[in-house]
Amino acid sequence: MNSIPNPKSSIPNLLRPWLDVLAIASWGILMLKYWLTGKLNLLIHPNYFWLVITGGLGFLVVSGLKALELLRRRRTRVAAHITLFPPGFSSTLLLTTAIVGLLFTPRVFASQTALQRGVTDSLGVTRTQPQAFRSSIPPEERSLLDWVRTLNVYPEPDAYTGQKVKLQGFVIHPPELPPEYLLLSRFVITCCAADAYPVGLPVKLLTARQAYPPDTWLEIEGKMSTENLGDKRQLTIQASSLKQISEPQNPYDY
Amino acid sequence: MNQQLNTAITLFLSLLVEAMPFLLLGVLFSGLLLLFVDERQLVARLPKNPLLGALIGSLVGLFFPVCECGNVPVARRLLMQGVPAPVAIGFLLAAPTINPIVIWATWIAFRDQPEIVVLRVVFTLAIATIIGWVFSAEADLRPILQPAIGAGLKPSATTAVKQWSEQNVGQTPELLKSGTYWLGQNSQSVRMDVTVLQATLAATSPSKPLSNRLQLLLDNTIQELRELGAVLVLGSAIAAIIQVAVPREIILGLGAGPITSILAMMLLAGLVSICSTVDSFFALSFASTFTSGSLLAFLVFGPMIDLKGVGLMLSIFKPRAVFYLFALAAQLTFLLTLFINLHVI
Repeated sequence: MNSIPNPKSSIPNLLRPWLDVLAIASWGILMLKYWLTGKLNLLIHPNYFWLVITGGLGFLVVSGLKALELLRRRRTRVAAHITLFPPGFSSTLLLTTAIVGLLFTPRVFASQTALQRGVTDSLGVTRTQPQAFRSSIPPEERSLLDWVRTLNVYPEPDAYTGQKVKLQGFVIHPPELPPEYLLLSRFVITCCAADAYPVGLPVKLLTARQAYPPDTWLEIEGKMSTENLGDKRQLTIQASSLKQISEPQNPYDY
Repeated sequence: MNQQLNTAITLFLSLLVEAMPFLLLGVLFSGLLLLFVDERQLVARLPKNPLLGALIGSLVGLFFPVCECGNVPVARRLLMQGVPAPVAIGFLLAAPTINPIVIWATWIAFRDQPEIVVLRVVFTLAIATIIGWVFSAEADLRPILQPAIGAGLKPSATTAVKQWSEQNVGQTPELLKSGTYWLGQNSQSVRMDVTVLQATLAATSPSKPLSNRLQLLLDNTIQELRELGAVLVLGSAIAAIIQVAVPREIILGLGAGPITSILAMMLLAGLVSICSTVDSFFALSFASTFTSGSLLAFLVFGPMIDLKGVGLMLSIFKPRAVFYLFALAAQLTFLLTLFINLHVI
């Protein structure tokens, strides 16, 4: 079961420990790079930044120690190890993935993903129960997620009629909405991008929605009202002003 | 298409970035314990009652944070030292889940659904204890063990417990033992297992024992990071591809059914073989579309039985016994999580 060293592969055997060092170091660099370039918030919840930063430093320390050891010894032992993969495969895979990560700039999920995942104005049974719910936030200061949480606690749309709103989010054009409506939406994450789910509220425009293509970020001011959309009564924003904004530094809501 | 690729890579990297620190922590922790803690201290105080033994065995993981790649060698060593079968099997099945790091990682992933964290622990304990207990019916384990392991066993496991300390574990033919091997000076392979590690530690000059231990710890860490990291990369890639490429209707259809969702997630758990330290992040990516019961099925069943684990288990048990373990674990997981989906419990 343990691999028998092939004399012909003695050079790769010498290099293999260095491949390990490189693979592990590259992951440390990748994690720290995401942190330093401010892209980490596209991938995980800010609560866990410290984990990634510590982890990244840890990877660098481990690889650094191994590198020191290799430099000191010069002659490396060959560790034949029962493994799932052929020798060298694991390190190469890790290194390749890290390089992909270094080259690729993570981007926030877009409207297409939101449609794929299903946007709702309700949080559902398995969804975030607010950790600290404050209904005392004045309506015009509520974020999109605050609104969805409020609606989740008390779902009757008429209760909010006439309340002022000022919200930021990106545009989705759901096929089931009439042409003068769009969905203003945000992704919410609890742990990392893998569990990002979209929430959104319909917005009634004065014009056709073509003026605001999908994935445009908007700041919308208006008033709440109730509309019959599909066969459901839904809390809808009657937009009075729409301002195009650039994608916020932190596009997710928590 | 471009956007889908973008989403898939972002998802993939997010899973990895969140999971890597836990992987490092798990690997470091298990390395530290294997090198600095003597499990024989623990073994000596085990109860003789099979049910209690199975339960205690299941809880030993709390002191031995190993994930499913680390638990098989430890379980094998326990069996060879004459630990009663219920204890060893309880440990084998439960240790990857019932340990502080895995519980913490699950908590971080499922902060919003604490019941998943609690039920994962409870179900794992229940299943591991039951299976350990079932195996206690077998008075003589040797027919279901691989000959190499069985040979070191005394007919009565209980008397063997008292004698384990005298027993020489190294009687097994070198080639039949799996583990890590160093290639020694004259092409003699040296088994790099804890027994050897500890023997090496004992034999090393007293002037710098700590640096030697740290040396071994470093090698162990790198080896496991590399291996488990690669499995993690593959697992995350599968999760990301399923999320993006499989049409939503299929996922929703599968994920909403109380039975189909459990079966799908158990199958996925068996195939993906992702390390238990980080599997909660994998499950998390299905949290919005799959039933809670099926997420639990993934989290409970995956660490017990998966493709990678079966390969390792065959180094202890004969195929028949592995099949029993698999069938029992699968049925119990299915039943318990179905109760959750149907709100029986």
